[in-house]
Amino acid sequence: MPLGNLASVSRFLPELAVTATILLLVAVHVVGKNRQSSASALLSLAGVGAALLLTALQPSMPAVSLFEGMVALDGFAVFFKALTALATIVVIFMSMDSAELSGKSQAEYYVFLLSVLLGMFLLSSATDLVMLYLSLELVSIPSYLLAGYLKGRKSSNEASMKYVVYGATASGVMIYGFSLLYGLTGTTQIAEIGRALATGKAALPLFLAAVMVAVGFGYKIAAVPFHMWSPDVYEGAPTPVTAFLSVGPKAAGFAVLVRFFYTVFASPDGAGGPWTLSSPVDWTLLFAVLSAATMTVGNLVAVNQKNVKRLLAYSSIAHAGYMLMGFVLLTPAGIQAILFYLVVYLFMNLGAFYVVILVANGTRSEDISDYAGLGSRAPFAAVSLAIFLFALTGIPPFSGFIGKVYLFAEVINRGVYWLAVVAALNSVVSLYYYARIVKVMFLEEPAEKAELAVPAFPRALLCLLAVPTLLLGVYWEPVIRVAANSVRLLAF
Amino acid sequence: MVNGILDYLWLVPALPLLGVVLNGAIALFAERPLLLAEAARGDGGHGTSPHGASSHGADTHGGHGDSHAPAAYRKLVAFIGPAVVAGAFLVSLLSVLALAARAPHDRLFVQVLFPWIQAGGFSAPAALQLDPLSSVMILVVTGVGFLIHVYSVGYMSHEKAVARYFVYLNLFTFAMLTLVLGDNYLLMFVGWEGVGLCSYLLIGFWYEKKSASDAGKKAFIVNRIGDFGFLLGMFLLFWTFGTLSYTEVFAKVPLLSANGTLTTGIATAITLLLFLGATGKSAQIPLYVWLPDAMEGPTPVSALIHAATMVTAGVYMVARSNALFLLSPVSMAVVAVVGAATAIFSATIGITQNDIKRVLAYSTVSQLGYMFLACGVGAFTAGIFHLMTHAFFKALLFLGSGSVIHALSGEQDMRKMGGLKKYLPITFATMFVATLAIAGIPGLSGFFSKDEILWQAFSSPHGSVLLWAIGALAAGITAFYMFRLVFLTFFGASRMEPQVEKHVHESPFSMTVPLMLLAVLSIVGGWIGMPALIGDLFHLPNHFEAWLAPVFGHGAEGAAHGAEHAPVALEWGLMAASVAVALCGIALAYALYRVRTDTPKKIADSVPGLYDWVSHKYYVDEIYDLFIVRRIVNGSIWLWQAFDAAFIDGAVNGIAATVRGAGDRLRRVQTGVVGGYAFSLLLGAIVIVGYFLAR
Repeated sequence: MPLGNLASVSRFLPELAVTATILLLVAVHVVGKNRQSSASALLSLAGVGAALLLTALQPSMPAVSLFEGMVALDGFAVFFKALTALATIVVIFMSMDSAELSGKSQAEYYVFLLSVLLGMFLLSSATDLVMLYLSLELVSIPSYLLAGYLKGRKSSNEASMKYVVYGATASGVMIYGFSLLYGLTGTTQIAEIGRALATGKAALPLFLAAVMVAVGFGYKIAAVPFHMWSPDVYEGAPTPVTAFLSVGPKAAGFAVLVRFFYTVFASPDGAGGPWTLSSPVDWTLLFAVLSAATMTVGNLVAVNQKNVKRLLAYSSIAHAGYMLMGFVLLTPAGIQAILFYLVVYLFMNLGAFYVVILVANGTRSEDISDYAGLGSRAPFAAVSLAIFLFALTGIPPFSGFIGKVYLFAEVINRGVYWLAVVAALNSVVSLYYYARIVKVMFLEEPAEKAELAVPAFPRALLCLLAVPTLLLGVYWEPVIRVAANSVRLLAF
Repeated sequence: MVNGILDYLWLVPALPLLGVVLNGAIALFAERPLLLAEAARGDGGHGTSPHGASSHGADTHGGHGDSHAPAAYRKLVAFIGPAVVAGAFLVSLLSVLALAARAPHDRLFVQVLFPWIQAGGFSAPAALQLDPLSSVMILVVTGVGFLIHVYSVGYMSHEKAVARYFVYLNLFTFAMLTLVLGDNYLLMFVGWEGVGLCSYLLIGFWYEKKSASDAGKKAFIVNRIGDFGFLLGMFLLFWTFGTLSYTEVFAKVPLLSANGTLTTGIATAITLLLFLGATGKSAQIPLYVWLPDAMEGPTPVSALIHAATMVTAGVYMVARSNALFLLSPVSMAVVAVVGAATAIFSATIGITQNDIKRVLAYSTVSQLGYMFLACGVGAFTAGIFHLMTHAFFKALLFLGSGSVIHALSGEQDMRKMGGLKKYLPITFATMFVATLAIAGIPGLSGFFSKDEILWQAFSSPHGSVLLWAIGALAAGITAFYMFRLVFLTFFGASRMEPQVEKHVHESPFSMTVPLMLLAVLSIVGGWIGMPALIGDLFHLPNHFEAWLAPVFGHGAEGAAHGAEHAPVALEWGLMAASVAVALCGIALAYALYRVRTDTPKKIADSVPGLYDWVSHKYYVDEIYDLFIVRRIVNGSIWLWQAFDAAFIDGAVNGIAATVRGAGDRLRRVQTGVVGGYAFSLLLGAIVIVGYFLAR
């Protein structure tokens, strides 16, 4: 039974905390004298930290539906809220250290960043088509602004422009799909839609609608062939924004993808076992093909990149491909594998981007060739980057390996061997380009020998990202347990 | 249920780990920048030595750079390092006392710390198990370990990288405690690999010296061979039992052997594979070759890791798995024979060595052989008993030799010593006690444990006269070479080089106090395990055997059985014989190295072939090099040129070119034209729909 509006407010505290912080930031922007001061960054940290704390304290058992069925409060939503809030906190720290962003108006930047966070909170819990669409736009629109935040830089403007055009097209197609679904079922509640479709409906319109919705979500997670925007945007945007986009909205995209498709087109058996398709849309093969295509394209194009940022952008496309493996299986274990991989991915990917920022602060360059001799110029940063890259490759004993083990194990258990083979081959390709950076850092002579100073605070933060990347490779039990609980609570 | 102090058992490994973290932070953030700055100034730390001993190229007790005013962090490190181990020892002691307060059949405490790995039917929790066997081990590891940590403070006082040293030493203690406290084979393996890593790091501690880094690599590679066996044994164990937890495995043994799952063949395979691991870690034939070279490490390391604790891990593992070994007569025989052969083989090499630490190294290999001999004849209690007493007197011998080396500015060659008795009175007195103990002189610890082993080798159903005879002969040789060492080092006229002689000094208290404590333990340490024969005279029961009985129930039974039926006179006779053999060895050493000091050379000259053969360690290293190492190297060169370079690289490069080409073409799709992007989105959607419609 959905809670009414007033009764829902007390369950909505994390979102309210973020909203309040955004409003305060706007006030700071208007009133504050010094636009460059780090006060707004600290304020944002406090706000997001409070939201994270409130999320953690929130009772998610039993799952409830809030605001007359607009959003759900369940373990699944709580997991993604915590994940995206954590990513935002790391990105705030990264932004504070970024030379690209220094000198720019700070409060504005954090208003956009936190608006995306609010959008992600809502996106991962939305259970109504209207809410879902609105929250997707709330994620997208500030993202466009963030991508173009370096007004003076041509590539940043270009990134923003492309992002807007592509995003508008995708969301147009998606809302068309929504309208078809509404027309077929007469409701905007996704649980209702699922029940209505289970009684048997025309296959073709339904399938069209499903593909159109998939376009919208596929754009958010940058799955091939809806990925074209991402390399240009990732390259042009300020690096902290790139890091943020490659983790936060991607995670929220996975949240809504799982929630929407599982609720609408499938139904769980009571015992927590595999799901069964309850409508004529058999999307598993569709997404299996998308998964294979996504990882293959991402990896193949990454091979030839000469710019580290662009390389990481393509590799993040490939990682979305790996995670899609868990989505096609219709098992709680598959979703659990995605959730676990997202946690691991958060640390290793943000860590890699963070090193890119620190190096760029010193060298003003993101070219792989400028990483030559980094092992002797900035050993701490180089070793950290090597850890993150090996984790991204999925080599034991790094956490990326365990993440892949769970994804692969599920695919193999369900007998989708071809997908496992494709993914394994892709991992080999990825080893090539990740290891190349490591090789350049440690085996090639630098053009300039001067030491590249990495201040104490970024060092500490790098440690905080590297330790989980290593630790989750040998002791991952608690995280996998949290992920398992979050899957079980997936309620509508 | 309230377990009192036992609930804090986790502190035992956790405290040394805390030491690793603290000292590690100091090493990284305080010491390393300092050393780097010094290296940048071109002050390598050599050449400014007050002793000028670097020319010996041997254990030079540290970088012996002139330590300016000792930095504050050095004092902190020197406090943290020993303190955490002292804490671990206290907790261990209290835990063991709490365990002892329980009824004998109830002396098993398992503390599950957290679920570690769970995958399908496999689960391995991180859990600690305290029982009589692990009690003995943790007391030895933390007790002797603490003394050696204290000793290290003095010994390494001239060393620059002192924080790095204590990080390794603490890490070793942590890994060793994990090894002996883990409640399953997987956790034992973690500790097993951990101590191997620390051993490698500490052997190569002075990595700028090529012989040290080579020795480190040799130890690491030889141990890999053994670990390979351990791993396979563990896989087979899991395959057979479906679990790796000690309690579950041993509880299932009767059931599985009854229903035919666990045949003698499988038990033999498991135990032989495990034993292969033990021969690597505990330096037995054929994998003993790394241990003598390991003496390149600092001497306290030789004492702690390569004498008292790590190398006994194999013995611990065999004793822990006694229920499995007893199922297979073949494995028992292999263990006994390998142990006996190693004991005599390395004892003979010990006679001809001139490096004081190498003599002790071969002596260690030989004594470890004794322990395996004991296990192989089913006398696990005697094996563990000897493990404990050996830890006392061998650690003392190594630390004493370290004190000698320290006094002589790094000199390790006994031919350049002599007459040190008057310069180093404490070192001499304590080392002499240890020598009496290892020689098996009645009343000292070594006598009780060695005699127990020899008696069991003779009387146990698994034993034989031949094993006894080999053991007794090895005991005689041991007495001989140990007294040779003492006579050459401490007696006679000085053969020191003049500039060395000027600096000879007794070591500081931080080094001599551990020596004295260990000397006391070397004397009294054996009294808790007096054989019934002697114990009855003084009305002293054998506490040690009673303590371990719950773990070795079946094993002790078989051995005790044999003992009961043997006549008392026989036991007395054998004891007298082994003491007589030892006394002969001592007498011979006295004759050759005190009375007629020119004779040894004459003997060596009269049998040049034999002497060369033995003094070159039977050319085992050379044989391994010729038949194994060369083969592998040549084979790898062939594989590299014929297979890797031509075939693999060709294939890889070909594929890589294809991948790159494909990537390049795909990259061109990314034109940057916005309209094209938007169109591609629609095209993608249309292709998908089209495909599914056409299907």
